[in-house]
Order: sequence, then structure tokens, then C-alpha cells
Amino acid sequence: MPDSLVIKNLNASIGDRAILKDFSLTVPKGEVHAIMGPNGTGKSTLAKVLAGHPDYTVQSGEAFIDGEQIIGQEPDAIARAGLFLAFQYPSEIPGVTIANFIRAAIVARQAKGAPFDAKAYYAELYAKMDALKMDRKFTARFVNEGFSGGEKKRCEILQLMMLKPKYAVLDETDSGLDIDALRIVSEGVNRLRGPDMGFLVITHYQRLLEYIVPDRVHIMYDGRIVHSGDKDLALELEAKGYDWVKKDLASA
Amino acid sequence: MTTLTSMPSGILDASLQQNETKRFAGNDWFIQLRQLGWKNFEALPLPKRDDEKWRFSDTRSLSLADFTVAAAPSDADTAKLIGQSHFITRPAGLIIHIDGHCVLRPVIAPELAAQGVKFESLEDALRHHPALLKEFLLKHEANLGGAKFLALHQAWLRAGYVLHVPKGVEITQPFVSVNWTLTEGAAIFPHALVVAGDHAKVSIHEFNLSALPDQRALAISAADLHAGTGAHISRFAVQAWGKNAQSFEIANTCGGRDALITSVNAALGSRRARLENTVRIEGPGADVRLYGISVATGEQEFDQRTLQIHSAGKAKSDLLFKNVLLNKARTIFSGLIKVAPDAQQTDAYQTNRNLLLSPEAEADSLPGLEIEANDVKCSHGATTGQVNPEELFYLLARGIPLAVAQELLAEGFLEEVLSKVDNEEAAAVVREMFRQKFHTA
Amino acid sequence: MAEIEESQAQRDAIAVDRTKGDFKYEENYAFDAGIGLSAKVVDYISNVKGEDAWINEFRQKALKVFNDLPMPTHWATEDLKNIKFDEIRYYLSKGQKASRTWEEVPDDVKETFERLGIPEAERKFLAGVEAQFDSEAVYSRMKDEMSKLGVIFCGPTEGLRDHPEIFRKWFGKVIPTGDNKFAALNSAVFSGGSFIYIPKGVKVAQPLQAYFRINAENFGQFERTLIIADEGSEVTYMEGCTAPKFETATLHSAVVELVALKGAKIQYITVQNWSANVFNLVTKRGVAEEDAEVRWIDCNIGSRLTMKYPGVVLRGKRARGEVLSIALANDGQHQDTGAKMIHAADDTSSNIIAKSISVGAGRSTYRGLVHIPKTLRNCKNNTECDALLINEHSRTDTYPAISVRGQKNSVQHEASVSKVSAEQIFYMMQRGLTEGEAMSLAVNGFVNDLVKEFPMEYSVELKRLIELQMEGSVG
Repeated sequence: MPDSLVIKNLNASIGDRAILKDFSLTVPKGEVHAIMGPNGTGKSTLAKVLAGHPDYTVQSGEAFIDGEQIIGQEPDAIARAGLFLAFQYPSEIPGVTIANFIRAAIVARQAKGAPFDAKAYYAELYAKMDALKMDRKFTARFVNEGFSGGEKKRCEILQLMMLKPKYAVLDETDSGLDIDALRIVSEGVNRLRGPDMGFLVITHYQRLLEYIVPDRVHIMYDGRIVHSGDKDLALELEAKGYDWVKKDLASA
Repeated sequence: MTTLTSMPSGILDASLQQNETKRFAGNDWFIQLRQLGWKNFEALPLPKRDDEKWRFSDTRSLSLADFTVAAAPSDADTAKLIGQSHFITRPAGLIIHIDGHCVLRPVIAPELAAQGVKFESLEDALRHHPALLKEFLLKHEANLGGAKFLALHQAWLRAGYVLHVPKGVEITQPFVSVNWTLTEGAAIFPHALVVAGDHAKVSIHEFNLSALPDQRALAISAADLHAGTGAHISRFAVQAWGKNAQSFEIANTCGGRDALITSVNAALGSRRARLENTVRIEGPGADVRLYGISVATGEQEFDQRTLQIHSAGKAKSDLLFKNVLLNKARTIFSGLIKVAPDAQQTDAYQTNRNLLLSPEAEADSLPGLEIEANDVKCSHGATTGQVNPEELFYLLARGIPLAVAQELLAEGFLEEVLSKVDNEEAAAVVREMFRQKFHTA
Repeated sequence: MAEIEESQAQRDAIAVDRTKGDFKYEENYAFDAGIGLSAKVVDYISNVKGEDAWINEFRQKALKVFNDLPMPTHWATEDLKNIKFDEIRYYLSKGQKASRTWEEVPDDVKETFERLGIPEAERKFLAGVEAQFDSEAVYSRMKDEMSKLGVIFCGPTEGLRDHPEIFRKWFGKVIPTGDNKFAALNSAVFSGGSFIYIPKGVKVAQPLQAYFRINAENFGQFERTLIIADEGSEVTYMEGCTAPKFETATLHSAVVELVALKGAKIQYITVQNWSANVFNLVTKRGVAEEDAEVRWIDCNIGSRLTMKYPGVVLRGKRARGEVLSIALANDGQHQDTGAKMIHAADDTSSNIIAKSISVGAGRSTYRGLVHIPKTLRNCKNNTECDALLINEHSRTDTYPAISVRGQKNSVQHEASVSKVSAEQIFYMMQRGLTEGEAMSLAVNGFVNDLVKEFPMEYSVELKRLIELQMEGSVG
């Protein structure tokens, strides 16, 4: 499937502990898929493994971005291939300003030696910050350092908007957000929705999906998808609770 | 070894030193100062490997042979280097030396002169303000191991500047001193004397550079800083000599009651560079901040020795030295906080952080405390390690290649100290120097 | 106050009470090497012990090294110059053989150890005990089941004579004679100490204990300990030390070598309460092979000057080293202690936690060395030094030396200096404690996390020792 994020029979572990167990999923470009599931079921591991985090070991399986294998590639190569991970807990990078950071990420995507249009860059950066209701002074602040939970998540979405990946994995982007911040972040994501980008939204709560309405909802349990459906599945899950997943779906 | 078995020449030649000393006829005390320097230099041994004050230093390669005091530069060279010395657009005053010869005598605004501010070359100040020099020049010994080097500095003392800001005068724009080495094998001995009267405020920036990147040179610098009651002194010293230079700097700072002293040392150049920075806190309420940053590459050795002496209580001192190491470079940080028996209610801190970007680089850390009063808050910390793997992953996950990501993180690491520089223009100049250094490492 | 009653009960039950060390018995020695140090004295010691020629050669060579090495006063305290090597007696013994029952121990010596509570402690919780009185062991006994497992627990004379195939290979190898001046001195005149071998896979559940007692004035005690834990074995060794109060200085200079072979664990616990005229200059080092662990747990109270920096050479992959240290320096005392961690293999880790308390004009010094060379990867060290200053002129120094190269290695060192906060004392006094009691509680709180690492029997005693030291520190 050339125009999709395809994950096939992925098995991954941290240390001796197996976490992803034959995990498979396809997210076609232009669609928003949500993954829900109880804590400790492997949702965040999936995000980290796709992004190439060195703490995890992939035993077997594959993942493709529009046909390009990403498993086994370095994290920066995966990112430049078109995968963006919005972190659940974004790192603080002391001494590196947001402006310099995003600039370095954009330069990394340009052809070697290509000139960098600083004027256009700042114009775009400021416009997107305005859309996210971020103070322009943020550009001079160090990445995530001393940010509130909401500011960190907005900064992630700002980067997403600036880097324009093919696929974005949002890992618990709603955690730590109040209702206003949730709305702003969701609006940012909804503006990006379109035929050129696919989304994998990882969340524990249905709440986020009221703002970012998914095309498909998958329920993850014990390292794999145990049930898939349309957006109503999220509501059903909310009503029945995760015990339903553990009892009924896990055995399926 | 400096044992003078063969015919000495250059800076080790006693007759050359005596000849130059004769130039100061009429200033007998200064002649005596230089003669005493020579006597001490000859009496003191070069540091040896088991010398505690030189622990971890490469003492074997210490040599003072084959350096000479260079002649005055040509007009063409002078014009060219003056043209490259404007690091700050509107300094309160600018003084430039080439090979230890003052080539640009400072001019200060008439209103500053009217308030009694003096910014002159050492030689001019010797003629104009001998009493000031007698009171403040070289009043402290080098107690961190560099006594022999300071003695040689004293023996050849001629270059440098004197900055005196009288009581109550506050100047925000920095004064700037630029030292160049130009001639192959040149030895220079620049001195910085800064005296801030009670409640005066002054900032000084020093840029030390070599005209040619590969030139052999020896720089033995010394700085005396005196801050009176409530005075503020801010000093930013940039060591960017050429890569084949050997440099030694011995700085002594005294802070009186309620004085605020900020010192930032940035190290980029030299094959080996040693900094000895002693701070004496002599009045309650004083607040002294010592910062250092370096990017060490190739086979550079940056040797940093600091001493915070709290003689008076109720005072603060804070120290932060950060080093980034690449290739086969080595950094040594050795710091000591001394709290005297009656210096109660002292707050003194000391932190050394080293970022190793190469498996062959070596970071040595000797953070020390000697505390003889009990009502104090003192701590020190030292860390050495690689870039934080989570931070690195975050950058990689944005598509930034490993080398760029490491450089960004290293620049971020240095930023904590660069942000302490009181002039953004100067900070930007040095930030760019560090960036260039990364790219050529 | 149930806790206090409980700890009192524990103390009464066990009562290895080093606080009771200040008494002495008459000196009547069958063997006395005389005063001063010479090649003859060394020969005398060899003769009394009936040693093989190679040991005498080892001693004589060490004596030369000792004479050639300068006093390390270029970094250490000048007080070392006050040791009068010519006025010290280097070997004293009553000609006894180490007995296997307390009944056979001469009455005056037995009484010494009974007053210190050793026989009782042995019955209660020890797998083996050795008691040394001046130069020689007077009592040595290990539980029978230990012998059956092949555990060896004897002195150096017996160890080198009866089991050379085990001990000679490592003797003087972890700490070579020339390591430092005092290691050389010990190598020349060593007598007494423990030689221990734990066979492969044997895990000794109860601790082995040695007790060192100096009874004679102007005497130097130079015990030598070598513990070899064979692959996969485990052992805990504890030592206690006391001396009476003499007018003149006494010297204690031990060498302790530990060898933890692949996967072995050695835990070495010291509680020292020397009287305030003892120069205590001890060299302690362990080697940890692959997956092995060496832990030094060290408590230094008393002595005039202690210089002791237990070290671990991490020689095998994934080896672990640890030093946990408590030092308390009272008036006229200098505790110059610390730790050395020499990383020599990949994936090794080390941890140092040192806490010191300076009381009155006491001085405590931490010296540390952490070394990670360039060929190594994934090594870690963590060091924490905390100093507590009780009185106005109490003193503390911290002199760590950290040298790091290589890949993915990380070290972190933190040190702090503090005093007991006035608010804390006031709070406790408001609850009815005297200032001294409050101070004592605060100090015990300061070291509490380390005290917990000592076996329970020792931790109770340690708290009591600290309380005694804190008496009269305020007011």
C-alpha cells in the first residue's frame, strides 16, 4: 500500500519484557485513526518503536511509510522519511531556543547546501504560533524548559505544523491539558487534516475524540489491536469501560 | 626545563630583561617590581608531575624556551588588526595591543573623563597615576600553582591596561581590551588592572586572539580586580589565541562589602591554556559569580583552577564551569571553596559540568571544599557524561541528523553560561566563535 | 518510647560494646621485638613465626620500600610527621596459639574480650570469630559446618603456611608493597589478621568477625587481611577495633585485600572506635571480577588521625563496587577518609556515599578518586558526600578527583555542607528534649540511611556510639 502507514506483525520488547505482540495496523493517508486502550497495554511503546527509540528492541515485523521500510532506520531518518511523533512527555532542551530548534529540523529536510529563507521561516512560524495562541516571545525560549503541560503540548503541535510530515503519531496529546488548551491543540490538528497527512491518535480517554473526530477507532490490549470500529466504538468503550476489553475482547 | 645550560635567549635572557627594565628609569618602584619578578622566576622550579596543584596537567610539555619579546608591528599589520578588533559597536573605550605593544590608545568620552574615569595603557598609567598602580598592582601571590609564571609576567610587565572608575560612577557600556599575537614565537605578558571605587559600576570585555591561526606564541596574562564597597565589576574574558599558543592567566579578584562581581571566562584557543582564578571575599554582603565555558578540540588542554576564599561572613559566591570536549581534548577543573573560621553565614557553590562528545577526550574534575565555619550553605557538584539520550532522541525524532543534534545540544549546554554575559553583542560574537569551532573540529 | 526500650534490649542482648574499650591489663609479653624498626626486628618477627624464607624476603624488601618512600605530606596532613617510628614496639605477644575455646585463652586476655562482649556475640549471631590481642590472635573459631563446606578462616601465618596454593597467588597483589608508605610498613612487620577463603558457590549466611584490640602503650598493630571469595560465593566480614587511652601515640596500620572472583559478593564492615591517640593508617582495596560485587561499609569514630580510602578495582564486566562511610571527628581528631573506584571493565558501576560529622574542633576530610579510562563503555559512578558541622569551629574538607574518558560513561558527584538547623533543634526542645538530646537525634537522623546498611546488631551499637560522641557537644 503505497499511500499508507502500514505496520505488519510487529513484535517489540524493552529489556526482557515483550510489549508489542504481532501488532498490525494500516492508516491510509488522509485518515485519522485512534488507538485506545488501558494503561500498560503498549500504546506508547508503539509510538516509540515507530520513531526508532533505542531503548526498544524489535524482534520481528515491519513498518512502512508509503512503501518505505522504517524499522531498523535511525530516528532522524525515520523523521525525515515523514513520521512525526508528538511526545507524551516532550524533553526539555536547555539552552536551545524553539526558533533555532525548528530551524535546524527544517534545514535537515532541505537539500544539502540549499539556502534557508529566514524571512519566510519566521513569517510562517509566527502565523502558526498565532493560530495556536502562543506568545511570539516563545521563539526565544528554550525548548520545553519550564513550560507548563499545556505549553509543551502546544509546542509539539507547532512543530507538527511547521514540519508537515506524512504521518503524525500523537501520543496522549490530551494528557495534562485543560479544556481550553485541548480545544486549541485539537483545532491545530484539525487544520492539518487533509489528503496529504495521516494521523494515529493515541489516547486513554474518549474526550479528545470529541474534538478530533476519528475515521477509525482501534482498541489495543496486551500488545495488539483486539477490536476496530468507527467513531462510535469510542463511545461504546467509554460506556462499558476497559473491563469490557479485558474480559470480552482479549479472549476474542 | 628552564635550567640555563645553553645560552639563554629571548624571555629567558637576563640581560634582555634588564635592558628592557632600564626603560622605566624614574619609576624605581616599578624597576624593583620587575627585578623582584625576575629573581622569583629564577628561584622557582617549573611544576612537576607530582605537584598537587598541577594534578592531571601535562607538566612534561611545559616549556618556556624559544619565545621572544617581539618588535613593534608594521603599520600595515596594525591597520589590519585594528580593523578586526571592533567586537562591540559602541564600547566605553577600546584599547588594542599587538605582540604586547599598545597600538591603539583608548579615548573615552569627555563626560567620563570629567568624572575621573581612567582607561589607559599600563605604560601611560605608570607615568600618569603611579600611586594607583603602587596601591593595586600585583598585590597578591599566585597561590594555585602558577607562581613561576606570574613571576615571569612581573619580570616582563609592560603591556596591558588600567581601568579606574571612581566612587559612585556607573557605566553600562563595556570597556574593551583586545590583545593580538602576530609574530612567530612571540611572548606577551598583558596585565589587566581594574579598580572600581565604592558603588561604582563597570564592565570590561577582553578578547585575546592570534593574527595567524598556526602561530606559536606564549601569553602569560594577569588580572587584578578590586571592587570597593557596593561596587559592581563585570568581566568577560575570551581566550581565543591560535591553536599553537601556550597561555597562562592568573587572575586575582577582591570584593569588598556588598560588592557584586561577575566573571565569565570563555576558552577556545591555545594548545594548552591554564586559568588560575582566585576570588577573595573580604566584606559581608559581597556576591561573586565565576563562570567558565570552553569547547576543547584536537589535543587541546584547558586547565582551570579556581579558589573562592571567604574571609568575611554573610557573603555569597557561585561558580559554574562547563566544558564541551571533542577529539582527544582534555579539560581539568580544579576548584576550591575555602570558608575561614569566622566567615559564618557564607553561601558558596561550585559546579563543574563536562560534556564528552568523543571517547578519546578526557575530563578531570577536582571540586574541593575546606569549610571551617558551621553556619554555612556550601555545596559542590561535578558531572561528566554524554548528551542526555532522551534529549538526543527528541532532536533525532524531529529529523535532525546526529552530528547537528549533538552540536545543538552542546550549544544549548554552553548557553547557560553565555546568558550571563552582560552584553548581548559580545555574547553573540563568542557564540559564533564556538559555532565555527564545532564546524572545524 | 517502645523503640528505645527495644533497642536497649537489643543492646543488652548483644552488647559488643566498643564504648567500653577504655581499660587495659598489665603488659607481660613472652615475645617482644623491642623498640624501633630495623632489619633485625623484621627477622625477629619472622623467626617467632617460623616463616618460610620467601616471607622474610618479602618483609625485608618491604622495609626498604618503607624507608625509601617519603611521608605523603605533599597532600596529607603534617600531623603524620608526629609519628615516632623509633619509639614504637612492632611485635608483642604472649606466645599463645589461637585457642578454639575461650577457656584456653589466658584469663586477663579473656576478661578483656568478655568486657567487650565478644564471646556472647559469637554465640548469638556469628559464623566465626577471631580475636586479636596486640600482635597475635588469641582466639579463633569457626562454626563446624563452615569448615565442612571448605571455608578457611585463619591468620596470615597459618594461611601462608597451610594453604599457600590458595593465598600466595593473591597475597600482596591487590595492594602491592609499594602502594604507599604505610602499606610498605605493614608488609614489613605484619602480624595477625584474617585470611579467609570461601569456596565456589558457598554462601555464608552469618557474618565472620574479627576483633582487634591494642593493649600495650607505644605499640603498633599491623594486621593483614586477605579474603578470597571464589566464584559465586558470598561472605560478610565484620571487624571492630578498640584501644585504651594512653598518654602517647599508638599506631594501627593494616592492609586489607579482598578478591571477589566471578559472581562473588564480599561485604566488609568496619566499626572503629579507637581512642584519641591512635594513628590509624589503613590501606583497603578489593578486586571485583566479572559480575562480582565488593562493598565496604565503614564507620570511623575515634583515633587521632584516620587515613583510610577503601577502594574497588572493577576488573570484570558488570562488576559493582560500593563504599558507604560514616566518619565522626571530635575535638583533636581528624577523620581523613574516602573512597577509590578504579573502573577497569565495561558496564561496571560504583557508588560512594560518605557522611561525616565534625564536632567541636574536629576535622573530617573526604578524599575520593573515580577513574574511568578511555577504552571503557557504559560505566557509571555516583558519589554523594554530605558533611554536618556541629560547632562553630568544626571543620570539613572535600577533595574528590574524577577522571573520565570513554564512551557512554557517566559520573556524578555531589557534596554538601550543612549544620543542624536551629528550627529543628527548637522543635525537638519544645517537645521536651534537651539540646544535647535533640542534637544527638538530629545527627542520628543525618546518618540514618547509612546506619540501616549495617547489620542490625551493629547499627544499634553505632547509634549508641554516636550518642556518646554527641554528649557535651552543645551548651
